[in-house]
Amino acid sequence: MHIPDGLLVNDPALAAVMWIVAIPILAWSWKKAKTTYFHSTAALLAISSAFVFAAQMINFPIIFGTSGHLVGGTFLAVLLGPYAAILSMTIVLLMQALFFADGGILAFGANVFNMAIIGGLSFFLIKLLTRKSKSSGRFASSVFIVSWLSVVLGALACGLEISPAFAGGMMVTVPSMLFFHAIIGLGEGAITTVLISSVHRLQPAVIGSLTLLKGKEKP
Amino acid sequence: MKKYFAIIALIMVFLVILIPFASSNPDGLEKVATTFGVEEHAPFWNGLMFDYSVGAIGNPYISTLIAGVFGTLIVLLATFLLGTAITPKKTRAVSDAH
Repeated sequence: MHIPDGLLVNDPALAAVMWIVAIPILAWSWKKAKTTYFHSTAALLAISSAFVFAAQMINFPIIFGTSGHLVGGTFLAVLLGPYAAILSMTIVLLMQALFFADGGILAFGANVFNMAIIGGLSFFLIKLLTRKSKSSGRFASSVFIVSWLSVVLGALACGLEISPAFAGGMMVTVPSMLFFHAIIGLGEGAITTVLISSVHRLQPAVIGSLTLLKGKEKP
Repeated sequence: MKKYFAIIALIMVFLVILIPFASSNPDGLEKVATTFGVEEHAPFWNGLMFDYSVGAIGNPYISTLIAGVFGTLIVLLATFLLGTAITPKKTRAVSDAH
């Protein structure tokens, strides 16, 4: 879902708008992240982000000769909370753009919006769905649904952003992006749910500290 | 701390094992662009290792693996710096929360 500059270069105004949308949200996340933690989570933050980078390299095949990979926005959001997730996913995207030309420089604002911001904010939806529930089943199904949705919403935004480059406009880009990413999102949901459930089982405090699962953190 | 190094080692093993199995099919966005015949302009920035490969290395597996290990380490370092910047050095009192 990384938009290359080649698809946005015809529309520098749109690319600029996405930068202008992304920057204040990043500044807000920075400010909020600084008040979120009681102790250093630098190690957890670094390791989970490094894993997301590595996992994004492993494309899995879907249908019609197409592939997808984990985005990891919801994964980071559940582990780190929304603000640090937005910031760390932005760093993953920045390194991909700078070193590997995976996602453009002009298009960076759009990519941050589609993957880092939508991914990080998905935290609040999980919180809404699991509120007051102590059931790990409900937690796991919320993680699945929300990680699927984060990819589909990212694809919707992406379809709108790239539409000026297409002769058919958004009538072509939005349905086709939604179609592929509704399938890719199932992979996202499955991988995220397995990973988060394992972390929850092995290190319940990591997830309990964000009060996603009330009363579950104490064995 | 040992635990964290073990996870980093696991991520490297993950790359070593899974890179050969990664699908080289276009991703959803690339597929949409090629299906509808969009002429993508040449990028003006190709990165240091375009498309996760090291130009000087012929073997595509080794080339992608080096790019992957390099990328993982650089993300690790950058996000560790982010983490130290946004989280307090000493444990903060819980009352100060939220």
